[in-house]
Amino acid sequence: MAAEALPLEQAAPPGPFAAFWAAFSENKGAVFGLIVILAIILVAVLADFIAPYHPNEQFRDFVRLPPVWAEGGTWRFILGTDGLGRDMLSRLIYGARISLFIGFAVMSVSFLLGILLGLAAAYYRGITDTIITRLMDLIMAVPSLVLAILVVAVLGPNLLNTIVAVTIVYLPRYVRLVRASAITELSKEYVIAARVIGVKPLRLMLVTVLPNCLAPLIIQAALGVSDAILEAAALGFLGLGAQPPLSEWGTMLADSREFIRSNPWLVTLPGIAILITVVSINLLGDGLRDALDPKMRRS
Amino acid sequence: MLKFFLTRVALTLPTFLALMFLTFIAIRLVPGDPVEVRVGERGISPERLAHFRHELGLDQPIWKQFFDYVRALLHGDFGVSLSTNAPILHEFLALFPATIELSFCAMLLAILIGIPAGAVAAVKRGSLFDQTLMGLSVAGFSMPIFWWGLLLIMVVAEGWGLTPVSGRIDLIKFYIEPVTGFMTIDALLSGQKGAFADALHHLVLPAIVLGTVPLATIARMTRSSMLEVLSEDYVRTARAKGLSPFRVIGLHALRNALIPVVTVIGLSIGGLLAGAVLTETIFSWPGIGKWLIEAIGRRDYPALQGGVMLVSSVVILVNLGVDLLYGVINPQIRHGR
Repeated sequence: MAAEALPLEQAAPPGPFAAFWAAFSENKGAVFGLIVILAIILVAVLADFIAPYHPNEQFRDFVRLPPVWAEGGTWRFILGTDGLGRDMLSRLIYGARISLFIGFAVMSVSFLLGILLGLAAAYYRGITDTIITRLMDLIMAVPSLVLAILVVAVLGPNLLNTIVAVTIVYLPRYVRLVRASAITELSKEYVIAARVIGVKPLRLMLVTVLPNCLAPLIIQAALGVSDAILEAAALGFLGLGAQPPLSEWGTMLADSREFIRSNPWLVTLPGIAILITVVSINLLGDGLRDALDPKMRRS
Repeated sequence: MLKFFLTRVALTLPTFLALMFLTFIAIRLVPGDPVEVRVGERGISPERLAHFRHELGLDQPIWKQFFDYVRALLHGDFGVSLSTNAPILHEFLALFPATIELSFCAMLLAILIGIPAGAVAAVKRGSLFDQTLMGLSVAGFSMPIFWWGLLLIMVVAEGWGLTPVSGRIDLIKFYIEPVTGFMTIDALLSGQKGAFADALHHLVLPAIVLGTVPLATIARMTRSSMLEVLSEDYVRTARAKGLSPFRVIGLHALRNALIPVVTVIGLSIGGLLAGAVLTETIFSWPGIGKWLIEAIGRRDYPALQGGVMLVSSVVILVNLGVDLLYGVINPQIRHGR
């Protein structure tokens, strides 16, 4: 309304990224989460250089040492050693690599599959839509961990099958999200216009429709990483995820459960690692929601 | 109304059928021959093997096997556990009350704390209480509950000695006849002095652990829903009429703010059962979750199959119930938006 009245030398409106960053950085928790998660990613990537020892190297003379601040701790093993004399700090650092790998692998696969199935259901409707929707309903009807347990029981417990199981469990969220927003977009005029000028189906769905469904999908993807990390750690804890000697955080917890009385830090440290990672990602996800989706903006 | 009910019920039928198909296929994908699992590794004569295969129906065509499986399920036959030889439905029904009792208490805790806390945070938006609660709620729904449980056992049960470490009741002091399967009720029925208190005492930690994630979710949900409602016209009207703040918030705002919260509670039953698997494992709580994990450990695949089938059926039925209830409460849903 007042736009005409503005002086002509008014600065250009901020670009989409600058606008996003302005909204995102307003949320201090989100910025904090971003910094922490970037630090964890850095640690995971540089694990070979940062970790003092190999995660599976056993120091038989230094079994179950406490962390350096506790009585009997030594600077040689800053966070102490586990039941086999392995350096806890090194194991936690390599564990970050495993957990983040699981989180991002699950997220990427479900993101892509979700787009594929969601767009297919929205475009074809009819029988394709019914089959995809029913299948997703079925997956959602089985409690997440129970379904993951069933998948792992069938495929056998290891790191790859953990990823497969957790991906299956979280796939419906992506599919339903893409399907719902694609159906809304398909009825809008710009899509009808694109159809009228003869845009091919594949191009129509991927280039015209998809970009307008991305905002909620990106938020879901961020939160999906933390859900996947938690779920994988739970499977590891139950002995159905990554197997020892892999230093997956949940597996480490299960490994040291017997020492809960004598050496509580063996149980405490991996849990703190999981909690910090998941909290940071969730804070980041909240910030993304505030910045990307004005409708869902935290009031 | 009847049409709405019938449509909703009919819509769950394909899900049930697909669930039967899923559990049927899953068990056939398990590596290893079910007959060999049953007879052990020593091996038996080919005739006996053929006999067993015939007995288990494994010599039938696959579609016939599925058909038989569905027919058995419809007759309430969920198979027989390999490790105890007891019918799976029987084992499930014996253990399910323990899981319901735990889940119910966890949910009760989450509702009783989550709703008031979320409402107060919304009313006192931006206050220290609000900020603390929101910080805690992020930690709450990010919590690896298996670790949280171990931590509480370590500090509260073993460190301070405030609660028992595991189980549902002190088996040395009390003998409780299982009547309803709910330990708190059975303890009351038994009339033994202190039994009820002891059962409650055993419930505290597991309920806190299982209730943490729903508590965080409910508190957040109540807060954001309440903030929205507080800016509505009818709340402003109520204020303008000069009603006391307590009436405005408690009667006019909160009641409307609770609608989405109730939805969340209704739909969280699946998550609760998933959490129960971990909580029961940590606290040696003899419910369905612990039973399922043990079935995997013993390679008791029929028990796993039947267990998944039954647990999922419960979730589908509860979700259907919630759905129908909405139809009754909210005519908009009933008449298709």
